[in-house]
Amino acid sequence: MAGAVTIAARRARQWRSLPDLLERQSVLGVVLVSGAILYMLALVGYPFALALYLSVSDANVATSGLGNFVGFDNFVSLFQSSVFLTALRNTLFFTLIAAVFKSFLGTTLAFLLAENLPGTRVFRLIILLPWTIPIALSSITWKWMFDSQYSIINWIGTHLGIIHGNPPIWLGDPNLAAASIIIVNIWRGFPFAAIILLAGLTSIPQDILDAAKMDGANGLVRFRKVIVPMIAPVLFIGGLYDLVFSLTDMTVVNLLTNGGPANTTHVLASYAFLVGVQSGALGRGAAIAVLLLPILLIVIILVLRSLKRREI
Amino acid sequence: MATVAAAPHLPQPRSTRLLRKRILVYSGLTLYAVLAGLPVYWMLITTFKADRDLYNLQNFPLWFNQAATLDHLNLLFNKTGFTGWLVNTLIVAVAVVAITLVVAVPAGYAMARLRFPGAETLSIGIFLTYLVPTTLLFLPLVKVIASVGLFDKLGSLIIAYPTFTIPFCTWLMAGFFRTLPQEIEEAAMVDGCSRIGAIPRVVLPLSIAGMLTVAIFAFTLSMQDFIYALSFVSSSDQKVVTIGVVTELIRGDVFFWGSLMAGALLAGVPVAILYSFFLDYFVKGITGGAVK
Repeated sequence: MAGAVTIAARRARQWRSLPDLLERQSVLGVVLVSGAILYMLALVGYPFALALYLSVSDANVATSGLGNFVGFDNFVSLFQSSVFLTALRNTLFFTLIAAVFKSFLGTTLAFLLAENLPGTRVFRLIILLPWTIPIALSSITWKWMFDSQYSIINWIGTHLGIIHGNPPIWLGDPNLAAASIIIVNIWRGFPFAAIILLAGLTSIPQDILDAAKMDGANGLVRFRKVIVPMIAPVLFIGGLYDLVFSLTDMTVVNLLTNGGPANTTHVLASYAFLVGVQSGALGRGAAIAVLLLPILLIVIILVLRSLKRREI
Repeated sequence: MATVAAAPHLPQPRSTRLLRKRILVYSGLTLYAVLAGLPVYWMLITTFKADRDLYNLQNFPLWFNQAATLDHLNLLFNKTGFTGWLVNTLIVAVAVVAITLVVAVPAGYAMARLRFPGAETLSIGIFLTYLVPTTLLFLPLVKVIASVGLFDKLGSLIIAYPTFTIPFCTWLMAGFFRTLPQEIEEAAMVDGCSRIGAIPRVVLPLSIAGMLTVAIFAFTLSMQDFIYALSFVSSSDQKVVTIGVVTELIRGDVFFWGSLMAGALLAGVPVAILYSFFLDYFVKGITGGAVK
């Protein structure tokens, strides 16, 4: 009885002073997360809403206001622009091709690293370089490697007997320039694919793999029917992270080809930068960037679906 | 080289199958290492190669055919703003790390330990902000940054980078706090400490490793940015090193490849190595506990 009274009294007291109030989990929790919430609302939430607004406005870098509402004019004119349509196609095409190669290279590499032979740590450090080096710095290095006259890739190719006759001018031909962008994307992403897969692989208990082996499942069957379903959540998040990067990155294109030759290699991100910042048409630029959203959404749903199907 | 490293560990008679497998694994790893490392090797060679040697493919280009030179480094340090860009990078890094720690550590603690209304929604919301690409935000942020008077100033990057470091580091810290036993605070609280008192006295001292990891990531993730730095800053003396190197060592059509590669090497490789030592935490952070 007396205990109950003390608890009630203590509870009443908790409401009185600020330090006591902060001892309540519901209050302290909200206080501690408020910084993060406010920051993200101000600098992600608000700009996000602003991007949606800009995409239906004629806002310009030069003018200080937010421009006038122009309805869907930006979108209509974009879909009539051949550069935009090329950029849209490139975004999807580059991402898809690169993803196929990254999955293959990443998977084989993950199994090699999983053997964990002596020296694996040194290999790992070197193999991770493409992922860990700042992307702008590696992109400019690739531009030098694809140089029209002094390309080290052409030199190696010629001396290995892969390239015959006149060496290709990588960044001067629309198809080769597109290939160059895809190559850099693959080079940058395959170590990450491997590391994500490796993290999943090492989390699978060995006895499950042994059991599958005893049941007569060969390597490929074990991979498809046991390993992939077990690490599906990891694959999903890793894949998503990589897809978001591939679909939205403008660094590689901007530094390698800057959309050239003749605007054939733009992706949505680099085109949004060209239109929004370099030409100063914020509204049109924002419209291009906003169109990334439905693409991201579709991709996310597709990835989720394909992984779900595998789980069944 | 790879097979030599394997030799001492080989079991004696047992099987050539094992040996074959090892050779296969090492040759595979070597192939991948060459693919991954070639651009970085080429950076290194270019940095120290005299121009006459560099622009002559009659010789074997992958090694020095004339004496190595420090000319490119000399140009980089004495005739460009490189040291200034390094200082700018350091200022941005320190400020971004500070903001990230101040915001993400309390938020991570709350998500890991406290039950409060909206906690679930919040953790999903934080995850979703990962998926909002910088490509979508850079144009409206140009407006936001101009309106607070930070356009073309280092400050623009200091306020923009936490938008991607905070969500990531909050998740990372939440994961870290979950690994600390709950009894730590409970014991302190039984001893008469309030929770507010227990956090700085017993929780934070045990979280130094976690906070260090967060600091490293806030720094390395900031170094990966290109689009914000390119969009918000154009004055040479306000540039960070990544953007300075790729924009200021090109005059018209002339690329100063030696100095460009020197800058890329000096700015990129230390960051890359630092990052790779903490990469496992990064993987844990983005998979958010999906990996054990």
